[in-house]
Amino acid sequence: MYLVADISVEICAAKSCKLCTQYCPEANTILYSDEMGKDKGFKYGSAYVAVDRCKGCAQCVWVCDNMAKNNAIKMIMIDQLPVAALTDNITYGEKSTTAALVSPVVG
Amino acid sequence: MSLDYVKFSSGFEKFMPKEYRDMVEHGPFGKKVSVSQMGSFKEVLEEHPMCAGCAMTLFIRLAMIAFPNPEDTITVGTAGCGRLAISQAAIPFVYGNYGDQNGVASGLSRGLRLRFGDKPKDVVVMAGDGGTADIGFQQVLHSWFRKERFTTIMLDNEVYGNTGGQESGMTNRGAVLKMAPLGKKFEKMDMLQMAKVAGCAYVATVVPNNPRRVESVIKKAVLIAREVGSTYIQAYTSCNIEYAIPTDKVMEDAKNVENDRYQFSEYITDEAKQFLTERYGYKEFLPKPAAPAPGLPKA
Repeated sequence: MYLVADISVEICAAKSCKLCTQYCPEANTILYSDEMGKDKGFKYGSAYVAVDRCKGCAQCVWVCDNMAKNNAIKMIMIDQLPVAALTDNITYGEKSTTAALVSPVVG
Repeated sequence: MSLDYVKFSSGFEKFMPKEYRDMVEHGPFGKKVSVSQMGSFKEVLEEHPMCAGCAMTLFIRLAMIAFPNPEDTITVGTAGCGRLAISQAAIPFVYGNYGDQNGVASGLSRGLRLRFGDKPKDVVVMAGDGGTADIGFQQVLHSWFRKERFTTIMLDNEVYGNTGGQESGMTNRGAVLKMAPLGKKFEKMDMLQMAKVAGCAYVATVVPNNPRRVESVIKKAVLIAREVGSTYIQAYTSCNIEYAIPTDKVMEDAKNVENDRYQFSEYITDEAKQFLTERYGYKEFLPKPAAPAPGLPKA
């Protein structure tokens, strides 16, 4: 098993600083969705992780803890995630993306 | 070399992989994107085999977003870690033999000017510190003396990271590495000063812990290289493997190094300032409005 980043929607959608999307070394791995936060009644959208692309470096954790001071990202074993976004389930819109959350297949 | 090269041939849309379709439909081609929109559009960079947490990858990712016209850009690289990611992008990539990337780029940029005339086609060289300052040093310096109109970006990780950790000209004095156990005995090369002496129109240093600054510096360098002359960017992109930096501390290291020896610096000639202001509407180089004369009696 290996670690991937997991972003807490409750904390992220309250702040929405988008710093982690700018500091991830992998392209299109941390994405931003308007729906994910606003559907739950938060002011902003939330960032989320495409777990099939995440290499588990935890740079986003440092950025979220020390630069943004939001502490919204934790590293979690991929088989402990109930649902997650995968690249195949992500659609791009005009200003944000949308992800259908599924349970990550671990084999 | 135009928007057409990324589009599907008719009838082939349904056979293309999802990533490719996303890039054509939601990529940065033909529109302006910025780092603040990251995470909401498909980037030209795809999955790549670089190490987890590599700061060089982050820099390359930001650079690909900063190119003013990605559809009219060609990147040139050489052996080293950087080419593993640069070649995994929807931007044509030319692989020079070790050290001749600036020679290849000189010919390429002249050829594109002959073929396309005034229509801007950008050539960007991205190579490591070994490719730029050691093995490719002669060709790099001569391309600057000839004022070849393209951008050279050095991905300075201060070590030969791809071959096990030998010291390079850009390694700091005293640094002990796996393949340099006695420590380096000479100073780090001052490539910035050399670029200025050789006549580069724009010289800057950046560290990727400030994405907006990386974006602005690369945009300026590429635009100036269209007409004025050579431009050079030196970016600190740490090697977390050879310098044993924990991956979650890579940005902390970048911040410390920025405060220590990699402060942001920007050198720009008057001609380049005038070009950016007149052609691309940059306001930062306009003369500041005169301050009111001090000491006037109040009415």
